[in-house]
Amino acid sequence: MAESLVILYGALPYLLRGSLVTIAVVAGAMMIGVVVGISLAVGQVYGGKWLRRMIAVYVWFFRGVPLLVLLFLFYFGLFSLLHINLSAFTVSVIVLGLISAAYQSQIFRGAIMSLPEGQLKAARALGMSDRKAIPLIILPQALRLSIPGWSNEYSIVLKDSAVAYALGVMEMMARAHFVASRTYEHLPLYFAAGVMFLILTYLGTKGLRILEEKVRIPGYSS
Amino acid sequence: MRELFFFQPDVVSALMKGLWVSVQLIAPSAVFGVIIGFTIGALRVYGNAFIKAVANGYVLIFRGFPLVVQLFIWYFGLPYIGIYLPPFVAAVLGFSLCSGAYQSEYVRGAFLSVKTGQTMAARALGFSNIKMILFVTLPQAFRRALPGCGNEIIYLIKYSSLAYMITCIELTGQGKIIASDSFRYTETFMVIGAVYLVLTSAAAWLLRRLEDRLHIPGFEQYG
Amino acid sequence: MTDTIPILRIEHMTKWYGDKEVLKDASLSLNKGELKVLIGPSGGGKSTFLQCINFLIKPNRGRIWLDGREILRAKGKELYDYRQKVGMIFQDFNLFDHLTALHNVQIGLVRVKGLSRTEAKERAVLELDRVGLKSYMNQYPAELSGGQKQRVSIARALAMDPEIMLLDEPTSALDPELISEVLDVIRALRSNGMTMIMSTHHIGFASELADELIFLEDGSIVETGPPEKILYRAECARTREFCSKITEMYGNSSS
Repeated sequence: MAESLVILYGALPYLLRGSLVTIAVVAGAMMIGVVVGISLAVGQVYGGKWLRRMIAVYVWFFRGVPLLVLLFLFYFGLFSLLHINLSAFTVSVIVLGLISAAYQSQIFRGAIMSLPEGQLKAARALGMSDRKAIPLIILPQALRLSIPGWSNEYSIVLKDSAVAYALGVMEMMARAHFVASRTYEHLPLYFAAGVMFLILTYLGTKGLRILEEKVRIPGYSS
Repeated sequence: MRELFFFQPDVVSALMKGLWVSVQLIAPSAVFGVIIGFTIGALRVYGNAFIKAVANGYVLIFRGFPLVVQLFIWYFGLPYIGIYLPPFVAAVLGFSLCSGAYQSEYVRGAFLSVKTGQTMAARALGFSNIKMILFVTLPQAFRRALPGCGNEIIYLIKYSSLAYMITCIELTGQGKIIASDSFRYTETFMVIGAVYLVLTSAAAWLLRRLEDRLHIPGFEQYG
Repeated sequence: MTDTIPILRIEHMTKWYGDKEVLKDASLSLNKGELKVLIGPSGGGKSTFLQCINFLIKPNRGRIWLDGREILRAKGKELYDYRQKVGMIFQDFNLFDHLTALHNVQIGLVRVKGLSRTEAKERAVLELDRVGLKSYMNQYPAELSGGQKQRVSIARALAMDPEIMLLDEPTSALDPELISEVLDVIRALRSNGMTMIMSTHHIGFASELADELIFLEDGSIVETGPPEKILYRAECARTREFCSKITEMYGNSSS
């Protein structure tokens, strides 16, 4: 028992460096997810028939195929087929981001649709084009409403990021397993990794709740 | 011959074998997950303070730890205390416990959404507590939990691919083997992805059918 | 008159939450076929009193006799049997949302009384017919109007063959134009000799039908008496004040 603790203590700096990798993967994926997700949502609400259909196929595909299969497909398949040389880390960020975009687009879409119709009408009545009205009037409101859903999405991406281990990305899980296979202290190390994920979930959702409070507008809540 | 690769009998049979293992992983995990979800969900609503605390702790850990970590704990971790599980058993155990924790969230919400007036009316008619739960609370909670629980089963179909990481060779694992042998990564994982798409889409369609069948006017809105 | 045993007798019923007493030492006795009406301001304890009578709220003190037999242990089979004999109508209906009108009436007969499905259905249809809703029996609660819901809930209670009925403001959640259809059903119950305790703000309706009005305020029974006395010659100033205010608001008409 005491021995396990010593090993765990010794491995901690190594695991913590892994948590930085995890944070980087998640931050990158969430960023791609927001940008692509918002575009998809706007396209799905305001776009033409064909655009809407294509977006629906995108969402269907990325929500229906397992993360691990997509990681393999992009890392070993598509990118090398196109002769694009990307690191396992980059591919993980991109794939997690593209999947998250599919889910986030549904969060944003729900938020946009929940806004009263009068908002866009009022903007148009002021002479704004939709190209102006959507980023200036619709999105600032919709994004505020999206924060709770976004916080949920963060915790999912965080946990999914552990799958990047399958491509050899040295994030927390990979490092825990690496140390475990050398010290044979499997159980304590996996448990430690799990707890670190819990802590990151807690910190992230807490941060988002603070953000939600900060950007809150009186009489406006989700 | 490149186009015909996926019609070669050995490739097809390998994929079918993998698919069959996947189905064998998913089906029991879904059943156990629902059973665990309903049990834990009910305990989190109706249990005493101690039971609630234990059930909440369970959910915290099994929703909070990534599924990969949980699978590694069952497969690579348990030998640490002298328990050796075959990969298949470790995977089903991991999927069931994790899925159950997520399911319990929906079940808990569904039980909480049953209005007190409903239970009051049942008691006023002379229902015992058990009969009340069986014939009034549970049928209502079940309908409200169904969409969420069904989605969890769709997630389960996708996450079953992680069994590969603890050396349980199911569909994804077979794909990896075929791809590495033939160097046809793109086609192989496209085909594998398509199979998962069929599975998840079929599950989603079945779920919608079931929801429509159980539809009661004015009931789907939460109180 | 002197040797009749009251069908329901309640003595010294008291309920408190923390140090707040919401029902203070309420006593009441009811003979077969009587209708007693609880009146008084909202939050005065009418609903608590009614719910204590069938133990939906557990009173802290008090004794209850039904047919001269005291309810000693308000739990298990004794409680469930007692509740079958005491029908309850709620302000907000509380129909089971996942069941059709027919199944709402049927479920107690099958699951509590243990009737066969066919027997239960026959009885349920009969009760729905009596409240004029036979043709609505396959509708779900969400497809019924408030008045229809309340009539189904009355049918549901009557199907259990209760000896008395408790009605907790049965019309106060209804739109004005739907009130009379429910009051008509209650009036019919009365003329069929059903024993009832009802709380209501419809003072006109109460004075027309009630044997006795009970004025409840701040959890205490302030005054009890026949309608004409309570309404026009009340002894207590608070009773007079309340009655004049309520007649002003709701009028004197009986429907």
